[in-house]
Amino acid sequence: MTPDNASYTTAAYTLAAIVYLAYVLSLKVRLRRLRARAIALEAAERPRSERVAGA
Amino acid sequence: MTSGQLSVSPPPPPPIPSQRDPLVGVALLGIAAIYVRALAFTPIEARQGAAQKIMYIHATSAFIALYVAFVLMAIASALYLWLKDEKLDRVAESAAEVGLCFTTVVLVTGPIWGKTIWGAWWTWDARLTATLFLWFIILAYLLLRGAVEERGRRARYSAVLGILASFLVPFIHLSVYLFRTLHPMPILLKPSSPSLPNEMLVTFLLSFAAFTLLFIALLRLRYRIATLRDYVADREQERA
Repeated sequence: MTPDNASYTTAAYTLAAIVYLAYVLSLKVRLRRLRARAIALEAAERPRSERVAGA
Repeated sequence: MTSGQLSVSPPPPPPIPSQRDPLVGVALLGIAAIYVRALAFTPIEARQGAAQKIMYIHATSAFIALYVAFVLMAIASALYLWLKDEKLDRVAESAAEVGLCFTTVVLVTGPIWGKTIWGAWWTWDARLTATLFLWFIILAYLLLRGAVEERGRRARYSAVLGILASFLVPFIHLSVYLFRTLHPMPILLKPSSPSLPNEMLVTFLLSFAAFTLLFIALLRLRYRIATLRDYVADREQERA
């Protein structure tokens, strides 16, 4: 007789999705923070005249 | 400038990557499609019931973590020790972290399958214990990277640890042959033909393709983060 254990399968698939999505989210957050820092650094290093011209 | 001085221009900065990455989206869509196919359109195994479907995510995640991520980590680490190219260190670091994510899924889904088939969430069997041990070593690898400040030393230490950790991969693969173990024998990676009906085999192979795409997408994204982090660290050090 085939056992009824579909709830375990649902739990496993759900937990796997949570782990993968949480990791993707953590990568996205890290990338966003680093981008902000890199853009701030580049803006600070740009010559003043360039910044005035670009404003 | 006086004669004899060299004008060394700094390396060009890497382009700041955009926030959007279509490959990650495509990979996640592929995983969603596999969920639908596995849960709704693949037959239920007669003896194990629906729990057998856990294999489509458990075994594929294990395969990619062990034979792709950690092997890549070991190769990149060995090449780093030889060539001292920082890009290789970043590849090893990225492969280790993404591999840890895949191994986490293996260690989360495996006990759920075990509970339905063995009646126990966990058993200290050779393959399970070795996989858990590898998970801790990779965690230690990433903690080590966070603890060592100097970049060259950090890369050297972690390359050695990464190579040592990868020695567990063949042990984990062979553990089902070497020890009396509850873990099932391989169904695909074995000398004889796969022992799966066609419909299940197709789902398994599609799942393998989707998770491989996810691995590539995550590895690429993680590598870009490592490159940008090093660039920002260099610039901040220059300014300090």
